[in-house]
Formats: sequence, C-alpha cells, structure tokens
Amino acid sequence: MASLTGSGAAAPGPAGIASPPLTVKPVSRERRARPIGRSLLVHGFILAILVIYAAPMIGVALTSLQSNAEIAARGVWHIPENASLANFTDVMANTPLPRYLLNSFLVTLPATFFSVLGGVLLGYVFSQFRFPFAELLFLLVIAGMFFPPQAMLIPLFRFFNSPIEIAGFQILPALYDTVYPMILIHISLGLAITTLLLRNFMSALPSSLREAAIVDGAGEWSVLFRVILPLLLPALAVLATLQFTWIWNDFLWPLVLTRSEESKTVMAGINALKGQYNVAWASQAAMAVIASIPTIVIFVLFQRYFIAGLTMGSVKE
Amino acid sequence: MTKGSRLSLILMAAGPLAFYAIFVLLPLAQSLQISMWKWNGLSDPVFVGLDNYTRALSDPLFLGAFRNTAVWLLVAVTVPTVLGLLLAVLLDRPLRASRFYKSAFYMPITLSLVVVGQVWIWIYQPDWGLLNSVLTALGLGDLTRAWLGDPATSLVAVIVAWCWQQTALSLILYLAALTTVPRDLLEAAAIDGASAWQQFRRIIVPLLRPASVVVISLAVINTLKGFDIVFMLTKGGPFHTSDNLAMLMYSETFFKYQVGYGAAIATALFILAIIVILVYFRQARASERIYG
Repeated sequence: MASLTGSGAAAPGPAGIASPPLTVKPVSRERRARPIGRSLLVHGFILAILVIYAAPMIGVALTSLQSNAEIAARGVWHIPENASLANFTDVMANTPLPRYLLNSFLVTLPATFFSVLGGVLLGYVFSQFRFPFAELLFLLVIAGMFFPPQAMLIPLFRFFNSPIEIAGFQILPALYDTVYPMILIHISLGLAITTLLLRNFMSALPSSLREAAIVDGAGEWSVLFRVILPLLLPALAVLATLQFTWIWNDFLWPLVLTRSEESKTVMAGINALKGQYNVAWASQAAMAVIASIPTIVIFVLFQRYFIAGLTMGSVKE
Repeated sequence: MTKGSRLSLILMAAGPLAFYAIFVLLPLAQSLQISMWKWNGLSDPVFVGLDNYTRALSDPLFLGAFRNTAVWLLVAVTVPTVLGLLLAVLLDRPLRASRFYKSAFYMPITLSLVVVGQVWIWIYQPDWGLLNSVLTALGLGDLTRAWLGDPATSLVAVIVAWCWQQTALSLILYLAALTTVPRDLLEAAAIDGASAWQQFRRIIVPLLRPASVVVISLAVINTLKGFDIVFMLTKGGPFHTSDNLAMLMYSETFFKYQVGYGAAIATALFILAIIVILVYFRQARASERIYG
C-alpha cells in the first residue's frame, strides 16, 4: 500500500485482511535457452519502457548535477556539461536542510520503533488469546489503515495547539511546532499495519511454543520477548522498512503541525524552501535528492523485506 | 488462564490501544462533532446541526472537488492497475538483469510525493519542461501549454503524476502474485494451442483476481487520501479545477478558516473510506470462502 502509497505519501501499507490461501504452489522457473534475437528484442523493449518510466527520476538527477546558470541557459533535459556536486554542498551549508534531516530522523526512528513494538504487543494478544469482542477490536484497529488522515486532522491540530491538562493542571505546554506530535501520531497510525502483519505471523506459529514455555513457569512477558520475539525478526524487518519509508515521506502532518525551522521535517522543509529557491532549480533538485537518500538506501539494502511487506496482503506465501 | 497471565495481557494491550484511542478514534469522533459547528478556529463555535452538510451539497467548490475525486477514482482503478499488470507480465520472465529492471521500476514507490511533485513540475514546466520539449521536437509544438496552469489540463496533469507512482505499487503486488501462477498450467495451455493473449485473459487474469482486489482497494484509498500531490503541483488551482476533496478540506480549514466546513468535508471523505472498507472486507471474506 503505497498508500504506497504512506500515510499520506503514496501507499500506506498493504491491506490484506484475509488473504485467500491459494491452493497452487509456486513453481520454480528454470532458465531456458531462447533464440538470441528474441531475447534482445525483449531487453530492448523493456529498456525503452524503463527509460520513459524512469525519466522523472533521471530528470531530477540531471538537474541536481548542473549549475543554475546552465539550466537557465539550456533547460534541465540534457547531459550536464560540467557535472558537479556543488549544489549538494551548497544546500547543506546554506539552508536549514541538516536541521530538517535531523528532525526527520528524530520523528521517524522512535515512531518506527514504537509502532512496531505496539504491533508486537497487540499481535501477541490477538493471536494467542480469545476474549469477548476480540475480533471486533482487531477489525477496529486494522481499519485504521483505511482512515484518511484528513478525518483526524482538525481535532489533532486543536489538541496539540493547547496545553495538555489533567484535571485542570497543566502537565505539558502545547506541543505544536515540536517533533513530538508527529511521533505520537505516527505511532498510533502505524499500529494498524504492524498489528495486522504481526498477528498473522504469530497466528502461524505453533501454539505449543507458548504452552511449553508456560508449563516451564514462564510468564506472558517472557514468553513473548524470549520465545516468540526471536522468531519474528523477519517480520520486524519488513515492518521497520515499511514504517520508516512511510513516516520519512510523510508530508501532511509536518505541514500542519510545524511552523519553525527547528521542528520541520525534511519533506515539509524542502516545501517551505521552494519559494525562496523559486528559480534555483538545481538547488531544489539537490534538496529533493538528499531528502530521498535515506529511503532509497533502505530500499536498496532491504528491498526483499520491503517488497515482502507490501505484498503480504495480496498473496499467500 | 491464570490471573497473572490475564493481568499481563491487559497490560500489553493497554498501551497501544490507549494510543490508538487517543490519537485515532477520539479525533475521528471529535471531527464529527466539529462538522456541526460554525467555527473559524478562534472564536466560540456555534452549533449549526447539519448546515455544513447541506451547504456542501449546494457549494460549487465541493461539487467540483467531488466530481474531480470521482474522475480521479475512475482513472485510479483502471490506469495504474492495467499498466502495473502489463509490466508485471512483461517482467515476470527469466531474463538476465531482471532484478535490475524490477528494482528500477519499483523505485518510485520509495519516493515521497513531495519529491514526486517536484519532479513532475519540471516535466510540466511551460518553457523548458520535458513534455513541451518532446512535443516541440516531434513537431507538435501546437500542443504545448502550461499543463498545470491551464484549467483544461490541470486535473489530468495531477492525476498522471499520481498514477506514475501508483503504477509501481500495482506492479509490485502483481509480480508477487504472479509467482503463484503455475508455469506448467501455462505450458499445458500453450501445448493445447492457447495464444499468449488467451493465456493472459483466461488463466493469468482470473488467477490474479485476489491481487486485483488488493490493488484496486489500495488505489481507491490512496485516491481518497490523495492530498500531497495536489498540494505540491497546483494547490487545487487554477480556479479550483484540480481540487479534490482532500485538498478542498485543507484549503477550507487552513486557508479560509472555515473549520467546521472543513470537518464536514473530512467526514464525507471518511464515509467514502468506510464504504471502501466494507466492500473490501466483503470481498476478502468471499474469496476466503471460494479459495479456503
């Protein structure tokens, strides 16, 4: 789900609630000898489509390597004559971009960690136990994947603009324009996908695992964290890569909940700098590239997990 | 279950459920409440019942945004779905470099819509943007225009940029689903004289039906949430020609301070999302019965 699309962002998460167990088994595909001409044709065809499809990304890369003067003279779409990384060092030195990047990490890392941890806890409870209204409660939590953020926007904006009081005593000042609201919101919104996947994952584990440990005198906490958790590592990797990507790429919440440079995340930040760098296309491109590096690195390193996470709902492995 | 066990489980569930209740469920309910207020965000709110909803039904801005969202939905469930499926069938073959091809096609899904929007601004840029440059080079200079600034093309331009990223998602989901299509079934069909098109139409498409349900549900839900790309490219303009409901909700609330009205639009979006959820759950249940 991109949703991919992200929260916002593209595709917030996969959505398989009850993936139909297909009875067919994957069949291994052997490499076959093919006529060379035909294979060249296929490669040529794919490459042609790829060039068109990737043109937007190629364009931003080309732009980021040229000087603003060269773009003003010749436009974006040519091979740069004097390719250089000057734009990158320039925007890192002369804009608040480093601060924005730091804020993005300050939001993304804890929000990813705690949304996955919450999914571990809820997934354990929902997968190992039956209790009244368990099914209904589970559906209520995973329905969160589908809720448009707009439906929570105004009350949360209002909530974080006022001091937090309990029984008339102020316990915290208003959190507006700090990184904390984004952390809290992303933890909560992430629970839907993390609970769904981890509950499914834990349901597939043999129930004797827990029973044997309980008989040996272990409590539920140590069953979960000593016995079950080590078996969840692949699922945790899947969720961590997905959550990191959605939260890093999120734009709506920082747009609404931050104002100053000290608290903007990188996506809200490069949007805010757009006016100032209105015709400095090369600088804008360099900022876009820098802002994308963390998610691209995650994707390249953990592509297997990332894809597995996106597809977990659509096909039964 | 022992008492200790029960207490542990309640403690485990309490934390995350409290977060979910405070930052998701409670705001949803409050949004419904605010949608019945006339409120500029500062002064005391006035309860006006369903006025904001009846106002929406006669507001050309709302009706326009609703129409645009409907157009968007129509494109979203067809174009990226079909393109993703065709690409998946094309890439699902034992090729040298197929891993490279796949990664390259997947890449857009890792990008923020802020970045996607930036990139497409350069494609649509009137003076030296890629689209106009290509059209001029092809001798179609008459067709060049300010794609985002022209009321006739602004909506289509925004939707195309969005479809570009959504296609990557649909491709990923279909490629995964294709691994469940048994190759010997296709080979048997080929031996029996089925053409490539017949294999595609009669074997691959029906077997991918569960994946299609997911792809289409996601396309719908991502359309309803679709705010970032509109904000980046046009902010709904010119003259609201590219507004969708998510963008209109934002501009009514944060540009015009019509907070109650904004909440009503948000509720409309929420109701549409609920409909998708219900249809999706029903589909998921139904296919469970068929396959399970």
